[in-house]
Amino acid sequence: MKKITLNQKKTSTIGLEFDELIPDNVYTWEKADFEKYQVPIGNSKFPFTDYFDVEVEGSAEAPNEVIITINGDLRRVKYIGTKMTAGEIIANSSVDLHCGSEMAGGSITVNGDAESYAGREMTGGTLTIKGSTREFCGSSYIGDWRGMTGGQIIIDGSAGKQLGECLTGGEIHVKGNCDILAGIHMTKGLIQIDGDVTRWPGGQMQGGNILIKGKLSRLLEGFVDAEVVTNPEIAGKTFTGRYIKYTGDIARNGKGNLYLDADKNRNFLGNY
Amino acid sequence: MAYEEPITDYDYIVENCTCAFCGCNCDDLVYLVKGGNVKGELEDNVVVSGYVDGGHVVGVRHACRLGASKVMEDMDQRLLVPMIRDAEGNLVETDWDTALDKAAELIAGSVRPVFYGWSETSIETMKFGLELGELVGAVLDNQATICHGPSLQAVQNAGYPVMTLGECKNRADMIVYTGNNAMNSHPRHLARYSTFPRGFFRKRGRFDRTVVTMDPRYTDTAKMSDIWVGFEQNGDYEFYNAMRAVLRGKKLQKDVISGIPKEDIEELVESMKQAQFGALFFGLGLTHTLSKQRNIDIAINLIQDLNKFSKWNLIPMRGHFNVNGFNIFMAYEQGFPYGVDFARGYPRYMNGETNTIDLLTREEPDVFMVIAADPGAHFPSGANRHLANIPVIQIDIHWGPSTELADIVLPGSFIAVEAGGTSYRMDGVPIYMKKAISKPETCRDDEWIVNELLKRVQKIKGIAPREASK
Amino acid sequence: MVEYILKNGIVFDPTNNIKGEKKDVAFSNGKIVEDVSSDAKVIDVTDKLVMAAGVDPHSHIAGPKLVVGRLYRPEDSRKGIVPAKGVTRSETGFSVPSCPATGYRYSRMGYGTVVEAAMPPLEAKHTHEEIMTIPNIDVPALPLFGNNWFVLEYARDGKVDELAAFVAKWLKLVKGYGIKIVNPCGGEAWGWGMNVHGVDDPAPYWDVTAREVVRTLAKVNEKLGLPHSIHLHPNDLGHPGNDLTTLESMKMVSDIKKSSGVRNQNLHMTHIQYHSYSGTNWRDFKSGAEGVAKYINSNDHVTCDVGQITLDETTTMTADGPMEFDLHQLNGLKWANKDIELETASGIVPFIYSGRNSVHSVQWAIGLELFLGIKNPWQVMLTTDSPNAGPFIRYPRVISWLMSNKRRMEMIENREVHKAVEKKSSLATLDREYGFDEIATISRAGPAKAYGFTDRGHLGVGANADIAVYDLEPNNIDPSVEHEQIEKAFGNALYTIKNGQTLVKDGEVVAIKQSQNIWTNVQGLEAEEAAVMKEVMPVFNKYYTIKFENYKVHDHFVSNPIEVKVQAGKASK
Repeated sequence: MKKITLNQKKTSTIGLEFDELIPDNVYTWEKADFEKYQVPIGNSKFPFTDYFDVEVEGSAEAPNEVIITINGDLRRVKYIGTKMTAGEIIANSSVDLHCGSEMAGGSITVNGDAESYAGREMTGGTLTIKGSTREFCGSSYIGDWRGMTGGQIIIDGSAGKQLGECLTGGEIHVKGNCDILAGIHMTKGLIQIDGDVTRWPGGQMQGGNILIKGKLSRLLEGFVDAEVVTNPEIAGKTFTGRYIKYTGDIARNGKGNLYLDADKNRNFLGNY
Repeated sequence: MAYEEPITDYDYIVENCTCAFCGCNCDDLVYLVKGGNVKGELEDNVVVSGYVDGGHVVGVRHACRLGASKVMEDMDQRLLVPMIRDAEGNLVETDWDTALDKAAELIAGSVRPVFYGWSETSIETMKFGLELGELVGAVLDNQATICHGPSLQAVQNAGYPVMTLGECKNRADMIVYTGNNAMNSHPRHLARYSTFPRGFFRKRGRFDRTVVTMDPRYTDTAKMSDIWVGFEQNGDYEFYNAMRAVLRGKKLQKDVISGIPKEDIEELVESMKQAQFGALFFGLGLTHTLSKQRNIDIAINLIQDLNKFSKWNLIPMRGHFNVNGFNIFMAYEQGFPYGVDFARGYPRYMNGETNTIDLLTREEPDVFMVIAADPGAHFPSGANRHLANIPVIQIDIHWGPSTELADIVLPGSFIAVEAGGTSYRMDGVPIYMKKAISKPETCRDDEWIVNELLKRVQKIKGIAPREASK
Repeated sequence: MVEYILKNGIVFDPTNNIKGEKKDVAFSNGKIVEDVSSDAKVIDVTDKLVMAAGVDPHSHIAGPKLVVGRLYRPEDSRKGIVPAKGVTRSETGFSVPSCPATGYRYSRMGYGTVVEAAMPPLEAKHTHEEIMTIPNIDVPALPLFGNNWFVLEYARDGKVDELAAFVAKWLKLVKGYGIKIVNPCGGEAWGWGMNVHGVDDPAPYWDVTAREVVRTLAKVNEKLGLPHSIHLHPNDLGHPGNDLTTLESMKMVSDIKKSSGVRNQNLHMTHIQYHSYSGTNWRDFKSGAEGVAKYINSNDHVTCDVGQITLDETTTMTADGPMEFDLHQLNGLKWANKDIELETASGIVPFIYSGRNSVHSVQWAIGLELFLGIKNPWQVMLTTDSPNAGPFIRYPRVISWLMSNKRRMEMIENREVHKAVEKKSSLATLDREYGFDEIATISRAGPAKAYGFTDRGHLGVGANADIAVYDLEPNNIDPSVEHEQIEKAFGNALYTIKNGQTLVKDGEVVAIKQSQNIWTNVQGLEAEEAAVMKEVMPVFNKYYTIKFENYKVHDHFVSNPIEVKVQAGKASK
């Protein structure tokens, strides 16, 4: 096992880009390698050790034997864990854009909030955000109709707009509230939201499942065939309670399912 | 509006000039020029080639009031000499070399430079700007970032069923304006392209067409439409979703959707299905409400659905005359339309990360060049606050709020009046906007200014000019 | 003046009947010369494969369609990103590369000339702006005429002379090279969301059929004596059963006499793979390649390019608007459409061709069947209708398929393609393998001849010094077995020389050259053109949304063009 600890020395208003500092690249690195490393900031590169103190303990034969712990104020550190395939990253702070984007394996824990695009186009692994995240969490790259295809994103706080846009697989679990258009254009996978949701979850969804345990403010016309189901089983998991189950978004010939907690959303039952 | 006497006191006429105001790029303007000498050919008093050296545009025929008032000179606001802000904070006049060297020095030494604007200058100017941006690793962005950016994002998600404006003029029997007030923002759009002109298959013009305005406000465009659909604010997405559902044969469950009775929606969808050729024009009213790009996304999908029954196309009502041009230019040069970041030696395009407003509110840029744009007037205060703290280089023709933020001011020239250049209309039709008169002696063409900056930065960096890069 | 000599290469130059001779190629001042002095700079290419630089007869590389593709597929742009390095700027895109990337990539494959196959006249300025931005290759562009209102009207009324003057004038206005026809009458029908089927289905309102339009334009083409023949994308692209339309499209112009001393054909059929489908629907769909190949084998008035499916995720784009909408209905992916007033339609849809899909696999087989079934290599040309059937960077792979029956059978047997290939096409029974001579014919000599180019596509004295050298030893390789090496070598030229300047060395772009536009200037019809413009102008002023003065392509948009002067009515040499 190799433990790499990065302790921040100073912050930068221009974001540091950490895409090269993933277990896949640094599992062979010793302290001297970090001292040689130049980190991209804006259009230039600067000595990494100007910004972080590095401690390296132990050794690793493969990326999955690496734990990287990053301490400090990481609100201007982008691309943490981007494209990682194995190993572990623990960020003890809120983090900047693209945390865990395109990750294929391993795990990332953010002990704070994550900016937008967390877990974008993930294909595997686990991203845990102890705080909240902003827009486009677990989304696709702009223009692509294939978003996150695998892995798991767990958000203890709330999520911003367009969570899981174009979701094509994998699972997103938001323990807090969620803003508009969760699961827009999704085709597969599961989005579970424990808190309240503002408007229009599942816009133009074609498949997959969205489960909302909190209260929903507005639902689109494209969701039809409501029925009340008890303790539904979705993607191999059983969810206890009574849910209104919709099919949609039929505005796009969708065959996805949207589950709404029946007791908290009694007003929706009135329509049927 | 008071009656104005027609202008008779002019010496020369320049025909087929292109309006450098909105995305309509009307290319039928006639400039009435007083004074000066013709450098080129003259037939009677019409300049058939070349331009009038030292002349002044005293009148404009065919243009709308917006266009005419821009084209007609307003020298009192004109930036005429390069200026640099001194230690006391005052803009002081200087010579070109000093101003350009200072600007080049700032750009060359910058870690996060942003070059913003471009929508009111020529493609030829952008060429040099892009070369400079690639050289120093800058972010290049245009006004799309604050206007039709969400439309482009939606296009990238949903598609782009467009046409040239003549298709609408010749064929359309149903015109829909949604989230825009063309009568005020693009005054000749209805007159020249969409509603009033007599088209090949619409010989009676306005009488052969049904005009629908979908807008929460009862705008001037709504007033002259046959149908006004005043859905509730921020209800766009739900409204379009319901239209799509109806199109798929679904009975609507709620009686009223986004403030519109379901019968009205059903009737509207039916008449859209029955149209022979429909054209939908959307504006910022659709792009900038609650669900942003998703409104456009679903509107595009609606158009796609309608094509199963009839023929429908759409066009975004682009604001500046070359805002579309920058997007097209960047796409063919480097693959992405706007907000392109060259910091890492290759282009990156990531909405929310590489766009001007996001960068400024995050306080990242350390040098900001604004060309042919007015962030001082248009940006949110958080973004402008950061602009006040960093060096700002302005290339523009008029004094505006951005001049107050600028540290170096480089006076450019007026494309389509004082300088020629290429622009792209809202529908992507390229137009070479010709030069009609000479520029003020102390000003320089935008193209020259940006090229000069490029050369000077190349010199600072010790790089030979790129071979055959133009 | 520096002289050069390429020493001891194995030269394939079909035009001059050189088939794998070991010989030197000398050039100076940008032209191939008989001999050079002893001071000449020697480039040692001992035993390496030497050909003229490639000529691509049909590719979509510049213009409004391309830019829509780039603009609305950032996910594609992101795929091909290469950072700036040395003389090159950064590259983006896989199926719709940026302009610089297009030039670099063609150059790396040893190409020197690429025809942009569809230019809407109204937006010709845009196409030319992009051509100026593409480095290292010369680009002629074919303006679209097949659905132009003036053309429809003249064709309906049988006014060949007037139409000839119109075409001559329009080639000048938009700096075009020849006549492109896409889904004649179908594009106009798409103005109303409709299509035409077959060559005798009239366009709504205009009451003119594809047969009349194509025949009239073919007559016009020969009357003007244009260097290239009409370039036809016939009706019914991609529909099962369209082989009959294709056969009829070829037959219907067979009587029109060609008037060119260079080319043999009076009709070039483009991406003929898409037009060789038999059956009545997608279930009984099967290859119609045999019948199409048979016609071409017994009629020398036709040339074709194939449009080979490469089984990639790509972006389809064509002026055939209704076809693209059908495609969008089929795959549900984002649909772009661009109708151009009075002139044409067009559409764009991303498409994922997969070897697991039976239809795509059979389409792949049909392309290869045509390559192998058409006997005369001068009548068939290498294209992927880039990016429609696959991006042009896959040419080396197509070459490796053509040269190796073993590889083709491997793909069929290993199920890299669907088993339907065996049932619905005869590919598995065709064991022909292309030699280097035939490869040189389909990728440079043949296209050059069909386009009437005499200054390129061959290595004879006086030709442009456009030369490609590949890291292959023809006498020392078995392409049938070493197909991977074939693909690699054709994708990374050892040298690409353009007008005597080395642009690529060892697969890397080492120099940048400004591209040149090639256009046809028809002379001798000035009076007729003026007369036709008197008829055209009132219509133009009334129904276009742009002023005539602002319509034409100003010289500003064509830097350093190559102007091909043609005397109307006289055969070009």
